[in-house]
Amino acid sequence: MRRISTFIALLLIGIVSVFAQQRAIEGKVLDERSKPIEHANIFIKGTTEGTSSDTEGHFSLVTNQRGDIVLCVLMLGYSEFTITVSEKQSAPLLIKMRPDNVTLDDVVVVAGNFKLKGESQWGGMSAVDIATTAGSSGDLYRSLQTLPGAQMVGESGKLYVRGGESRESQTYIDEMHVLSPYTTTGSNEPVRGRYSPFMFEGINFSTGGYSSEYAQGLSSVLPLTTKDSSPISKMGINPSFVGLAGGGTKAFSKSSVSMNLDYENLGPYNSVFPDNLDWIKPYQIFSGESQIRFNTDENTVYKTYVGYDRTSFAYHTNPLLENSLRDLNLKENNLYINSTFHRKTESGYKFFAGGAFSFKKQQISDAKVSGDSFRDKEWELHLKTKATKRFTNFLRLNVGVENFFRHYQMAYADSSSVHKSSINHSISALFATATLNITVNLSAELSSRAEYTSINSSWNYAPRLALSYNLNGVHFSGTVGKYSQLPENKYLLLNQGLSPENCIHYIGGIYHEKKNKVYRLEAYYKKYTDLALQNSDVLNSEGYGYSKGVDLFFNDRALFKNFEYMLAYSFNLSKRKYQEYTELAVPQFSTKHNATFSLKYNIPSLKTIWGITNRYASGRPYYDPAKEGLMNSTTKCFNSLDMSLTYLASKKVIIYASASNLLGRKNVYNYTFTKDTSGPGGYRGTPVSASSDHFFYVGIFITLSGKTAYDVSNF
Amino acid sequence: MMFLIFNIYAIKSIKMKTIKCYFYAILFLIPFTVSAQDLSCVVGDIRKANTENEYVQVRNQLERLCIVNPKEWLAHYYLAYTDVQLSFRVASKEEKMKYINDAQTNLKKLSDMSEADMSEVYTLKGFRLYALIASDPQSNGPKYFGEITLSYEKALGVNPNNPRAIMLSALFKNDMAKFMNKSYENFNQDMEKAATLFAGESTTALTPSWGKEWLDRALINN
Repeated sequence: MRRISTFIALLLIGIVSVFAQQRAIEGKVLDERSKPIEHANIFIKGTTEGTSSDTEGHFSLVTNQRGDIVLCVLMLGYSEFTITVSEKQSAPLLIKMRPDNVTLDDVVVVAGNFKLKGESQWGGMSAVDIATTAGSSGDLYRSLQTLPGAQMVGESGKLYVRGGESRESQTYIDEMHVLSPYTTTGSNEPVRGRYSPFMFEGINFSTGGYSSEYAQGLSSVLPLTTKDSSPISKMGINPSFVGLAGGGTKAFSKSSVSMNLDYENLGPYNSVFPDNLDWIKPYQIFSGESQIRFNTDENTVYKTYVGYDRTSFAYHTNPLLENSLRDLNLKENNLYINSTFHRKTESGYKFFAGGAFSFKKQQISDAKVSGDSFRDKEWELHLKTKATKRFTNFLRLNVGVENFFRHYQMAYADSSSVHKSSINHSISALFATATLNITVNLSAELSSRAEYTSINSSWNYAPRLALSYNLNGVHFSGTVGKYSQLPENKYLLLNQGLSPENCIHYIGGIYHEKKNKVYRLEAYYKKYTDLALQNSDVLNSEGYGYSKGVDLFFNDRALFKNFEYMLAYSFNLSKRKYQEYTELAVPQFSTKHNATFSLKYNIPSLKTIWGITNRYASGRPYYDPAKEGLMNSTTKCFNSLDMSLTYLASKKVIIYASASNLLGRKNVYNYTFTKDTSGPGGYRGTPVSASSDHFFYVGIFITLSGKTAYDVSNF
Repeated sequence: MMFLIFNIYAIKSIKMKTIKCYFYAILFLIPFTVSAQDLSCVVGDIRKANTENEYVQVRNQLERLCIVNPKEWLAHYYLAYTDVQLSFRVASKEEKMKYINDAQTNLKKLSDMSEADMSEVYTLKGFRLYALIASDPQSNGPKYFGEITLSYEKALGVNPNNPRAIMLSALFKNDMAKFMNKSYENFNQDMEKAATLFAGESTTALTPSWGKEWLDRALINN
């Protein structure tokens, strides 16, 4: 009985002591803008004793622990906060959380940048969105041409950005350069991208002010990212008006292999919808691509992509400037291999290493005159490695080196002569980027690139500064950066001492996104120097020029359900003295006004998505030899009303149809002139226009495997 | 800790024969001194939770449990589950993605835990993908359709009698069929099987037993 009493007494003493020695730790949790954080997890480190903050950020934690304790605060999206609280602490704690590394890394300086896929706040365009953009015909580059900054050069199909030539825009796949991203077509036939948008997980389109990591592009870069893993085995085929494609993916536990084969032949299409070319052999392209991905653990990814395509066609041509009929015959082989390795270590380093090999061989007979032969061969080996780490909340560093080894050779033979020429050269570069999160609202990106070009034994230094300020959800950004690029091969063949061409970008912009509406305004000025200039018989680097303008963008997904529309407008003034332009003149590809209106309407009850796009561009300048000066005339404006329809016929079948230039407008891009005494001023002009006013496409995407539905990607 | 030390001194002053008795007394006190938030309490709270605030409270408790005991698969499992539930309850897409991404982090950890019930892990993976699709059906539907189906198939491959996998798989297949203006032919059969299996599950054990409310709701709606 005595023992029991002692036990009860001790028990009571113990219980009383528990309550007698309790203490309360109180405080308030705030975010980086001093706004209260609700639901923060506040606890004593090493224990499960904790509480949560209320709507005002207040918390009160009652504990029995004595002495100094380490208090820990966790909240998703914020770095862990710890503080040692002494027993004497009586005043409420004020805890200010900072965004975590993931959140900080998402605060990108966005001047000139369009993120089209991924979890971007600036847009949520998926491969399906690209395919359903009317006028794109499923082509990535045509879809990008609906965005502000891109200029409408209808006969080319390539990207022309902010007064820059197409060669000034560079494409990267998994951070590795693609030498030849476009297919080859006949004269004035718009090209297409070689790569299906369905291959890519991420699409970034930068119209200027991009990181110094990207080389040899004066105007824009298009970094594309393939999937790190493809966990689903699938198969699909895609018969269409123009060919047949098919492929699939075999997924394993830690790897996957994808393959796609595509054959296109425009012969049957041209027999139904004839164009103005006299075909001997129809346009044909065969392409095959494959990708292998290994995920040895969740932080390591190896990827290897191989793509090959072969293009061939022949047609009779009898241009006004020539007297004889010729049979232009083209064959082209293109190969691209890309192998990359990514690893994220536990200490926070991200390592990247990659190699890419691009090869293109082209053979054209009757290229300029009957009986001639033109052959060219070009390859590039790109090697790159880099490391990235966020050291503190303030600083993130990205440092890397890369090398490009390039070869180009050409041979031209006609009845009287043979001309051969080739160049071998390399580009070596060191680049570094420091991202500084100066305050919660202000971030800066300082980057620089030191580059050595062997062909002219010159060093080039390209610094860049980008600032971004967030004022209550309105993002202001400004970028100043220098970019350089070697002149075109045809000029380097003639003069290997030409300097790299340079361009300085000055960009200021405002961005705002609210309730599914995106507003964007950017103004820019680009100053070109050291451009290749052919003045009489002298080829030097004394060319120069400028390009300035304003881009506007508005995207609304909130007007009503399942409806989306987009307005894009670009104003550009561009002049150059370069290449054959011996005086400062507006380049022939340049247009002052470009505007696109695009809408999509998804009707679930009909299982259809309708898309309508209208593209407008003001007239293009051209040279009329009967008038004074260069680029002394202007074509009429360009307009194309395009439409697309996507219909989900069954769980595994999608029918896609598109039509371009529904109104049948005769768009003229340029004029060529021949001497004709009966014409005004002794010349006769012939309009340059597309070989066909319209393009119709109907394709069926059939998913053959059991686990996937309406999945048009075989990768 | 002072009261524990006090108790130890007190024990020393008493005959050794009675140590056992006092040891039990200390054990009795431990729940008061360490924490009341053990896993069984939290699991009980999860089963009762319905609102965003209720789920946040249990989520924070689970987060603390995961830190203290990082190898406890059930703590990570329920944390991922609570994240998914929260993603349905918060309004902004940014908030939804934070929870969905955190669920993914915990599911990755579960994949490396040998004692984890992989049928339940695969089911939860599928449920997380369902939340991802729900956050943006137009973009994520085509993207994750295959993966969600595969997750449920894997779950049923490990345990064909997992009622959550049977029910969620049937619900998803039925939703897809509805999208094509059809219905999933085995829907009722699968739901009946799931209902039978749910009825046989212990609602007091720590192991997963959630999902019956989804089944009840689905049966009412159909």
